[in-house]
Amino acid sequence: MLTWYINPDDGGQAEIAKQCTEAANGEYVIEVSVLPRDASAQREQLARRLAAKDSSIDIMSLDPPFVPEMAEPGFLAPVPDDVAQRVTENVVAGALAGATWDDKLVSVPFWANTQLLWYRKSVAAAAGLDPAKAPVTWDQIMTASQDQDKYLAVQGTKAESLTVWINALVASAGGSILENPEAPADELTLGLESPAGEAAATIIGTIGKENLGGPALPTEDEGASLSIFQGDKGSFMVNWPFVWSATKAGVEDGTFEQALLDDVGWALYPQVTEGQPSAPPYGGINLGIGAFSNYVDLSYKAAECIVTPEHQAQYFATNGNPPSNTEAYDDPAVTEAFPMADVIRESLELAVPRPQTPYYNEVSTGLQQTWHPPSAVDPATTPTESTDLITAVLRGEQLL
Amino acid sequence: MKQLSTRAKIAWALITIFVLAYALFPIVSIFATSFKLPSQLNLGLFWPKTWTTVNYEEILAPGGSAQTLFLSSLRNSIGISLIATAIAVVLATLAAYAIARLDFPGKRMVLLTALGVSIFPVISIVTPLFNLWRNIGLYDTWLGLIIPYLSLTLPISIWTLAAFFRQIPWELEQAAQVDGATTWQAFRKAIVPLAAPGVFTTALIAFFIAWNDFVYGISLTSTDRARPVPAALAFFTGASQFEEPTGSISAAAIIVTIPVVILVLLFQRQIVSGLTQGAVKG
Amino acid sequence: MTTVADKRPDLRDAAAKAGRSDRARSEARLGWLLAGPAFIVMLAVTLYPILQAFYDSLFNFRLTAPDDRSFTGLNNYAVVLSDPLFWQALGVTVFITVVTVVIELLLGFALALVMHRAITQLRGLLRTAILVPYGIITVVSAFAWFYAFDINSGYVNHWFAWVPGISTDLNWFAQQGTSLFVIIMSEIWKTTPFISLLLLAGLSQVPTELEEAAEVDGATWWQRLTRVVLPNMKAAIMVAVLFRALDAFRIFDNVFIMTNGANGTEVLSLLAYRTSIGRLEIGLGSAISVLLFLCVILICWVAVKLFKVDLAGGARGAG
Repeated sequence: MLTWYINPDDGGQAEIAKQCTEAANGEYVIEVSVLPRDASAQREQLARRLAAKDSSIDIMSLDPPFVPEMAEPGFLAPVPDDVAQRVTENVVAGALAGATWDDKLVSVPFWANTQLLWYRKSVAAAAGLDPAKAPVTWDQIMTASQDQDKYLAVQGTKAESLTVWINALVASAGGSILENPEAPADELTLGLESPAGEAAATIIGTIGKENLGGPALPTEDEGASLSIFQGDKGSFMVNWPFVWSATKAGVEDGTFEQALLDDVGWALYPQVTEGQPSAPPYGGINLGIGAFSNYVDLSYKAAECIVTPEHQAQYFATNGNPPSNTEAYDDPAVTEAFPMADVIRESLELAVPRPQTPYYNEVSTGLQQTWHPPSAVDPATTPTESTDLITAVLRGEQLL
Repeated sequence: MKQLSTRAKIAWALITIFVLAYALFPIVSIFATSFKLPSQLNLGLFWPKTWTTVNYEEILAPGGSAQTLFLSSLRNSIGISLIATAIAVVLATLAAYAIARLDFPGKRMVLLTALGVSIFPVISIVTPLFNLWRNIGLYDTWLGLIIPYLSLTLPISIWTLAAFFRQIPWELEQAAQVDGATTWQAFRKAIVPLAAPGVFTTALIAFFIAWNDFVYGISLTSTDRARPVPAALAFFTGASQFEEPTGSISAAAIIVTIPVVILVLLFQRQIVSGLTQGAVKG
Repeated sequence: MTTVADKRPDLRDAAAKAGRSDRARSEARLGWLLAGPAFIVMLAVTLYPILQAFYDSLFNFRLTAPDDRSFTGLNNYAVVLSDPLFWQALGVTVFITVVTVVIELLLGFALALVMHRAITQLRGLLRTAILVPYGIITVVSAFAWFYAFDINSGYVNHWFAWVPGISTDLNWFAQQGTSLFVIIMSEIWKTTPFISLLLLAGLSQVPTELEEAAEVDGATWWQRLTRVVLPNMKAAIMVAVLFRALDAFRIFDNVFIMTNGANGTEVLSLLAYRTSIGRLEIGLGSAISVLLFLCVILICWVAVKLFKVDLAGGARGAG
């Protein structure tokens, strides 16, 4: 009997658990247990239990930024070499980086997520842009949505999604939030006081101050972004691929016209500097095996079953979460459900994970504390403020 | 009963309407939300455009995305709150009897302790308990919630019951004692029947308090094994992890509110007298 | 048993001088036998944890790095007390406490009057209605208010768009002032019934003869209220204020659900929660918990010493 702690989804992981249980012929039974909805709350729950040396945690669905924090104190059972070899075959670069800590594979890549630029074809055409043809820049979509009197849909709420945005902007501008993510807490150096950090702050600050995101921006999460994008004021949006399946569902239950779906276009994440390829956000889920589990070997066996390309393709087609294994993208069910599967795969190759450090929670919360609300972000002061806060917190000199 | 003037009648009608609006409006509001289609949540309307039970299916019907989450938390909430209430009421009955009836050194200290415990900031208890529970295996268990729930239910039970017991005609007990019964027998035979309504009211109030808890619920649990309803509401999710679970949360909120409304409807008189006596006489 | 007729045990004891010590001893034993378990449980669930919290607060201890635990004395307190975030959270907590208590006192008194004076046919209905918010789970109340005001799913903006300052573009949860407004509304809605019940108890203790006498003397309604009713209710009002103030000081659920501390709505309980349960910094979190506890003690002390709130008034004349 193996317990798999999963992040909430549309039932896809439970279905895979059932299929693997059947395939195991009684060798093991996988039972799922749901974690909270919020990524940092998921980390909280797991870290709490693992710190208690809980043997009931066999398999966990882990958000990649939290992998180092779990790996560092030895909460994750080491990946056997043969398993490591099998589960890394054909896996996209971003997913591999997210599953690694200290140059060792510590978790099994499951699915990989990335944000695309979604746009209303009508609005883009009116503004004279064709993102599908040539990559667009943030400046272009900001100007376009302003000229067309529409809202740009981005995630400005004080939550993990804000860190995702900041990281993508900083990375797209050629910088990085942490310069030495492997360092111990008091030696971590931030890379925000740099042209890249300023460029990111300029974009977020301008969108906030000039009200380009609309009034909902300071509380706008991924779901709220989608509803703005679907509404009358929708223009451009950066978001995960779930928006496609959600909009399709809205058309099927009669809330939206088919015309809306036909008007939705997609392209690679916008660039910060023209001509310099963007670094789209990277998300997804890796499978970690609890170090205190009584069935480590069986758990790895089960994990291998869960991440087969067939299961990844099935999960993508039914739940909208993209595979980390490139093979899965060739599945016909995938291309039918997600016509943009190729762009997603391309985006995943470019994607840059958030900083891989055991102190990710402090870094991320510190960023959210100082880069929110978007209208208060100022390229001259915000990067310095956040650097000072995060440095002080990591040294234990300040609260968060 | 004095005959009411027309003006007084109108005044009372207006007051009644105002009080009803005040008390019920947020509930009606979330009730309306619970019948909205997920894709029609953002229309800015009070009542649903299309009435649907899809949110209730999500949390109740087999195969609904939040069904296991909600039903197990409902079971946990009912079980844990009932047990915590029962223990608190039994302990409080004994203590309140002693306080109302006997003179012993430290009586005042017991009452003041109850008072102190009832104003204790819950969050101050949570961190050390969390740490201790992890080490002794009570983390994420029913018992691990029942024990801290006593800090919520026990003090108010002692105060309310002590106030009730002070009003009981104790001559009956003394009469029983004269008839040769021991203090314990006198308590059991003569007083328990008289005290029962007070005990019941106290149990009701204590149950409400346990049912309402959120801080312990989110801090000391992590799975379906013990997670109570208020904590579970924060775990709901839409069709994908990025979509708002507004509908399912509203539906679950309505379901857990129904028993409260029924209990209040049936026992408003007892609850009012229980709360007012515990408060001022105590 | 010479004093069967006496109802009060203290009188009875006074009368029964002869067997006093024996009787007192057995009564004390029985008293502690009955009250002891409750007393011990209460101490076990509060005194022990707060002592443990104080002990933990002296260490630098992060749960995900158990081996780095080290003794730091009072350093955690220095960090907390020198941090503007703590003072901001304290300020917001005090602000919420003061505003909710004042409004609830007025609204609660009005509701208590309604319940007290209600004609018989309406009494049950009114009491039931007023009790409903009392029984509702705070988290449910938080969600109800949140969804009503939320810029996406809410209808409040559409209803009140005619009010200056409100439009369909107003994002209530994007600034401190408006966020606190909704948080306070939810808090008031949920807890006013409790305060009004405490006040109702006080109202029912005001001797009706006094009021009638004042009426005969030609006192206006307002004079009767301020000169007769309120002075006679002083104790009840003080108790109600203190209880609600301490309860409001612990506010957590509403803030957690609606803003999770964004836009300067952080309160002390949430800060303690995020530090110890969220960041798993047990040492720092415990220090905040201990400070929060000291604040509560301070409020009590001020109330009892300065305003002479007689919390245990009933205890002395018990029996």
